[in-house]
Parts: sequence; C-alpha cells; structure tokens
Amino acid sequence: MTHDSRVVITGIGSVSACGWTASDLHRGLLSGVSAITHPKNFDTSGQKTSVVGEVPPAPETVTQKIPEWASLSKSDRFAVAAAIEAVEQSRLSTDLWAAGLFFGGSTGGMFECEEFFGRLLKTRSGHPGIRLQASQQINSPGDAVARHFKLTGPVQTVSSACASGTLALGMALDELRSGQCDVVLAGGSDSLCLLTFSGFNSLRSVDSRPCRPFRADRQGLSVGEGAGVMVLETLEHARGRGAVPLAELLGAGASCDANHMTAPHPDGMGAAAAIQSAIIDACISADQVDFINAHGTGTLQNDISECRALHEVFGLRAASLPVTSNKATIGHLLGSAGAIEAVSTVLCLIHGVIHPMPDEGDVDGQMELDIVLGASRPIAPESVAISSSFAFGGANAALVIAGWKRGTVG
Amino acid sequence: MEYTLPSGEARMGESGTKEEIKRIIIEALNLEGMTAEAIGDDDLLFDEGLGLDSVDALELVVSLEKAYGVKIGSDDATRESFRSVETLATLVDRLRDSSQT
Amino acid sequence: MTPRPSVVVTGIGVVSAAGCGAAPFAEALASSDLVRSSVDRSAGYHRENSSRTAVLSGGADLSEWISPSKARRMGQPSKQAVAAANMAVAQSGLESNDLDRAAVVVATSYGAADVTENILRQAMLEGPDAVSPALFTESVANAPAAQVAIALKARGPNLTIVQRQAGPLIALAQGVSAIVSGKSSIALVGAVDEVNPLLHSILDRFRALARPDDDGIETARPFDHRRSGFLAGDGAAVIVLETEDAARGRGARPLVRVRMTGRAFDPFAPRTGWSHDHDLLSESLRKSLFTNGVDTIDIDRLVTGGCGIGPGDRIEALVLRSLFGDAPLPPVLAPKGVTGESGGGFLGAAVLATTGSPFGPTPGFTHEDPELGVIPHDGHSLPDPTAVLATGFAAGGAAAWAVLEPVEP
Repeated sequence: MTHDSRVVITGIGSVSACGWTASDLHRGLLSGVSAITHPKNFDTSGQKTSVVGEVPPAPETVTQKIPEWASLSKSDRFAVAAAIEAVEQSRLSTDLWAAGLFFGGSTGGMFECEEFFGRLLKTRSGHPGIRLQASQQINSPGDAVARHFKLTGPVQTVSSACASGTLALGMALDELRSGQCDVVLAGGSDSLCLLTFSGFNSLRSVDSRPCRPFRADRQGLSVGEGAGVMVLETLEHARGRGAVPLAELLGAGASCDANHMTAPHPDGMGAAAAIQSAIIDACISADQVDFINAHGTGTLQNDISECRALHEVFGLRAASLPVTSNKATIGHLLGSAGAIEAVSTVLCLIHGVIHPMPDEGDVDGQMELDIVLGASRPIAPESVAISSSFAFGGANAALVIAGWKRGTVG
Repeated sequence: MEYTLPSGEARMGESGTKEEIKRIIIEALNLEGMTAEAIGDDDLLFDEGLGLDSVDALELVVSLEKAYGVKIGSDDATRESFRSVETLATLVDRLRDSSQT
Repeated sequence: MTPRPSVVVTGIGVVSAAGCGAAPFAEALASSDLVRSSVDRSAGYHRENSSRTAVLSGGADLSEWISPSKARRMGQPSKQAVAAANMAVAQSGLESNDLDRAAVVVATSYGAADVTENILRQAMLEGPDAVSPALFTESVANAPAAQVAIALKARGPNLTIVQRQAGPLIALAQGVSAIVSGKSSIALVGAVDEVNPLLHSILDRFRALARPDDDGIETARPFDHRRSGFLAGDGAAVIVLETEDAARGRGARPLVRVRMTGRAFDPFAPRTGWSHDHDLLSESLRKSLFTNGVDTIDIDRLVTGGCGIGPGDRIEALVLRSLFGDAPLPPVLAPKGVTGESGGGFLGAAVLATTGSPFGPTPGFTHEDPELGVIPHDGHSLPDPTAVLATGFAAGGAAAWAVLEPVEP
C-alpha cells in the first residue's frame, strides 16, 4: 500500500519541566537527570505523593511573543508557546492561513476551573469570576493556537486520555494525505491540576519517587505538564518553498483494548495492534524499526504489558531494540504526552542520539528489552522510530517517524 | 458512593463489623439489588467470587478509611486481607485497635 | 484516485428527555414536545435570578439496553452512550463479532460533569485522600467511548472529540474517514453530554441560557428576534456507519448516506463566542461544497444548530443566507429548540430529518429577526428531502457541516 502524499515535519516546539523550548527539552533528556521534583507552585498538600514535572515560570523571551498572555490559561500558554517555537523553526509564519490544527488534551483549563470552583465552595478566597471558566474546555488550548496563527482550516481537539497527543498527530497525517490541507499544526497541551493529580493518586498509581519506567522496583507514574507541537506539511509543499524537513511522519495506527477502564490488557494485544497498524500504514516492515520511544509510564501494569506488546510485534528482535521513555525525565503529560513524545523522537532523529532515561535501578528481570539508561546511544540520521501511547480506557495509538536523510531535498 | 455509619457509636465486636462491611461494599460499589444476607462472611470478594476488580478494591479502601477513620497503607491493602468480609473485618478491627493505643 | 466508497448509516440509538429510543425522540421532534425540567439549585451554585430549567434526559429508563450490574460504575454519559450504541447496533443487525475492528468516535462538549464535580468536592472539602478511584475512572472525557468499546468489544480506533457545537459533525467526519481509509469497516459515531446543576449554573453565569419571559417560562427561540439564550440539554445518540456495499451485502437496510463532510475555523471568534463577520465561514462552507460537487440547488433541507443564543444563531443564519445568495432558503429545521443545546440531540435529529421524519413547529419562534432573515420551520408537512445540509458552529470558532441523503431501499 502506498499513499498519494508523503508527510514531513518541518518545525517542533515544546514546553516541559525542562523549560520552555525544545532545546531545553533535548538538553534535559540528554542530561540523564530527572526534572521531576517537588513543585515550587503546584499544591500537593494532603496528597499521597509530592513530586511532579512542573513547568518553570515563563521567560520574557516567551511571554513577549504572546500579546494575549494574560487572558490565557496555563495549558493555553504552553500550547501557544510551543506552537510559536515550531512555527518559527518551520519559517511558515505568513503561510498558515489555510492550515488546520489537530490537538490532544485531557483537562484543558481545569486548573483555572478549580480556582473558580474552590472560590464557589469558599475553600479558596476570592470572587468566583466567570473568566476563570473561559478556557475550561478541553479544546481551549488548540483553539488558542488556531486563534493566535489565524488558521481557517479544520480545527479539532481529541481527548482520549494518554493517547490524545499521538491520536492528534495521526489525524493530522490523514488530513494531509487526503489533500484537504497542505499544512497542519498538531500537538497537545495539559497542565497539572487537582483533578488528575488526586485522581491518579487515588488509584495508587503514582510513584512517590520520580518514575522509573521498566525498572524492577518501579512504583508508578509521575504526573507532569507541558505541551508539544509540530508543523506538518506535505513533502510537495515543503519542497515547493525550499524547506528541509526535520523528519518524516511515515505512518499512524490506533486500536482499543476494549477490556477495562484502567488496566491495560495484560497480554498487550491492543498495544501491539496499534503498533502493527502504524507499521503497515507506514508501508515498512517491523525489521526496519530502529528504536522505540515507549509509552513507558513506570506503572507496574503498563510497562509489563508494553513489553509483551513489543515482543508480539518484533519477536526475537525485541530484546535488542533500544527502548527509551521521556516520562522518566519530564513525567507523564497525560493528554499532551503523545505530542511531546513525538517531539522527543524528532529530537533524537535530528541529533542522531537516542536520549537515555536517568539511570536509577535495575531493569525488571522479567523484561527482555534493551532499555537505554544513563548514556545516550548514537543512531544513524535515517533511523526509523516508533512513538506510542496507551491510554486510560484502553485507547492505543502509535506513530512511525523517520529521520530525514541529510543533503537531500527528498 | 459515600457510606456513613449510623449515628451513635459504631458497634464494636466482630459480627457487627462484618455486617457493616457488607453494607459498605454494597453501597460504595453500587451493587444494586444485592443484600447483605447474600454475602457470606467467607465468600471470595474478587475475581470468581463477587467479581470485584482492582478499582473496586481501591474504592473499598477509601470507603473503609472514611467509615472507620483509619488509614489502610499499602502493606495492609493486600489480596489476602481483602479476600473476604471475614479478613476485612479482622483488618479493620486491628487498625481501629492500634489507632486507639 | 479511487472513488470514495458510499458510507451509510444502518442503525441509530438515542437517549433523550423523551426517553430511551429513537422512536420517542422522533415523536418528540414531530410534535415539538419540549420536556422542560427544573434544575436543582439547592447546592447554591446558581446566582440569584438565574435561569432555572433545562431539557434533561437523566430520567430515561436504560434497563432494556444496559444492565445495572454493567452500569454500576458508570457516570450518566457512559451509561447513555452504551445504551444508545447497543440500540444502534441492534437496529443495524450487526453481530458482536462483526465489531472487532469497529472504530468508536464520540463527541462531547462537557465530558462527565457530575463525576468531575464530585471528585473536586471530595478533594476540596474532605481532602485528596477522600477522592473516589471509581469516580476518577469515569471523569475522563473518553469514558463513554471507552465503555462503548468495552461493551461491544470494538477494538478499532477509539476517539473522543471535544469541540462544542461542532463536535458531533466532526465525529461524523472522523467516522467516515476511518471507513474510507480502510482502517475500519464499521464506525460507531456518537455524541453525549450531561447537564448537572453546577454546569447549568456556569452556563447561566455566561448569560448563555434562555431568560424567563413575562409568563416566567424560559423558552429557547431559534433565530427569533427576541431570542435570549438556549435551553441546556443532554443525552446521547449513536449511529452505525459502514460502507453501502457491506450493508447491502448482508441484507441490512441503509437509512442515510453521508455524501460529504467539512470543517473550518474562524480565528476571529472570541473564545466563548462567535464572530460578528460571517465572511470567513461563508467562504469556507462555499468552497467545501463546491469541492465536493454539491450545488446549493440540490439542498432541500437545512438542519441547523440554531438554539436561541444571540450571536450563535446570528452567524449561522448569515452564513446560510450568504451560501444561498438570492435564492430562498430551503426549510430550516432547528431541533435544539426541542432537544436543548448539547448532547446527542443534534446528531440524532440530523439523521432522522434525512429519513423524512416529520418535525413540528419550531418552539419559541414568533418574530423574524430582520437582520437574520431566517424563518425556521413552522411544522407544516414537508416532502421527503433529497439532500440535507447539517451545520454546527461552535463557540470559540470551530465549524463543521455534512450533507446527508436518504437511501432508496
């Protein structure tokens, strides 16, 4: 199966506990040091755990580019900042009129909504002004980006928990292949809030230490916040304006476990199906995959289920395919996890290194996987990666992203 | 999904606790149509027994903590102590006793 | 490029204020039977002199379509979505093992409002340790889509779209796309919402809700000169989509064909409202129909999102008037006058309108707004439509539309 259009990535941006740019993210990922720590601003009092991947205060270099800053929620701000970085890198600023936007998120402006509700309940001081609710909608960050860049193409937000960001990128891929748009912004954004932090803690799936995916003594996930955004366009459109792609989005796949609201299917069959579907969609074979940017949350169930999924898809090769996860460094960004994971994957490809996870604890002996710990691994520029997300409620999604050959225009 | 104890002191003693726990299970887990009489003290609660799952277990922890004012730590929230109403009653009585010493 | 396969609807399930089922829903639309309920304001969330009514589906008896034991941990949106999905699948005649690769796409504006409120109350009033884990699993926006997949063992792509009034038609577009791309042979497409007192009080604070008239009754007046807001509504609708070939191949009766779908954005809309200028959206809609070979002359029915909200009805009216130019508009249906704003009502009504289901007079419409120039349907008997244009214009700027056609048996 071939597709009429090839789709390339020409700009990336991110906001995370590492900082307000993708360079900050890359530096943080390579450092081998986790950015998950006790938050300076987010209130964790009374909670079972108290470390998160909190985004630091925004530098002026970011806020001065966003005139509407004061009216935006935190998750709106992460989204717009990451989008600005991606668009600047793509050099498409004046050509976005017809572009579409596909975004993922799980809670939108819930943090600000909680402020409203707390004031309504009188557990927090201040007037419950309705403006606090203005960005509550889950589609608010995506809309804020579309508004900022004055997009007039299709704009939609998908909210399928932890798979949202990856699903949004998959929708963007379909849109570009269909020929309806030449350019699309895609990504996701979520901010820390009481709802999700309390919720995951109530499920006892949060580690009291920064999470350690695939480790024998892992105790759960770490919640983080931030955004990841990419500029995607057809290869033809990129060539036409002389842009050199950063990477190529070869394929996307999705499935559902249809098993349980919180526990992944222990055999990892749904996850395997999503990855296989992405590989088929990319018109490649499993043998051509060079590394995995895993969902790797650090929960006991996800990691073992994901390991089985990788073995199902890659067979004997699974034991020697490098596997990494950015969640050990920045935490689980929930609805934007898939987006920032895709950005991390592109960073790996353009810099020619698989970022490691901080080297804490031994890999789970039940797992025959090549986990990248401590030191980064060099990779060839044209490497092919899988980026995958497996959600609460059983939605699974995966992407195939390939590095762009240097010195070619395609 | 909230369960509150009847007004007045909670009845002490094992048989009272077991009946209360059965009512907590039914209310907190929304087991419509189930009666306390239908749950045997030694009936398995999870999997093949009453068919409860991991989320029900966590829900039960929160409800028992609220009802009895105790904290059920991860050392105590085990498959073994949550096996049946009998084992839960033993756990609750032990935690209540130790919180009073 | 290979021609796109014909995608049809072969089943529909609805949970509404009229009860459980597409039949009572269709009857309510035919008789313009607006079922208003008083909203419980005892929690003290509402401002003084707030609006007080809504069109609520919470009383619908779902027991025929979902058992209490299966529903015990579900919030209202999940229960209703599963019930509606079961109804739709039953009507389609599909067997459970046909659904293994089925995609599930559900739109919601507000997610699980009641569950979310309860969690926050627990966390804020009793402390984070009091948060119920079972409630949290139902608080995610994708809970209904996930529960539908679990109930039907549908292992294809699982998507939840959140885009307010444009959501249902975007979900429809995604469902069609899943089938056309070959990734799924069947798609369950739905829309669901829940209006609880907290949400109602927030909509009221935004001044979005219909205000009481002199007689004290809150009436939504789509496109009317005196419109003052919408009636909040909730409920669920799910439809089954598949290719026409597959449907006929197994002897199923297609109800409606999805001829085309389209989406656009108006970046000048305020984040909780609609633009003053309609030019951008008019141009997007015009181009979309043209690209898909649809002429306005072909369209003989409009299913609008008109709900009684000032600027929302206004922009929809101006866009449609611009699209048809000097030609008079075909009959304009505004089902939200009966179903309220949000929930599955719009999606259900759009499909039913295309099958020729009758619509009664538009509730609340008495005086034309000269600026809008739209007179919605007055209830007189209409011939069966041949092409229906359904439109949804979201607060915040997103827009979506679809052209639906009836299918000859």
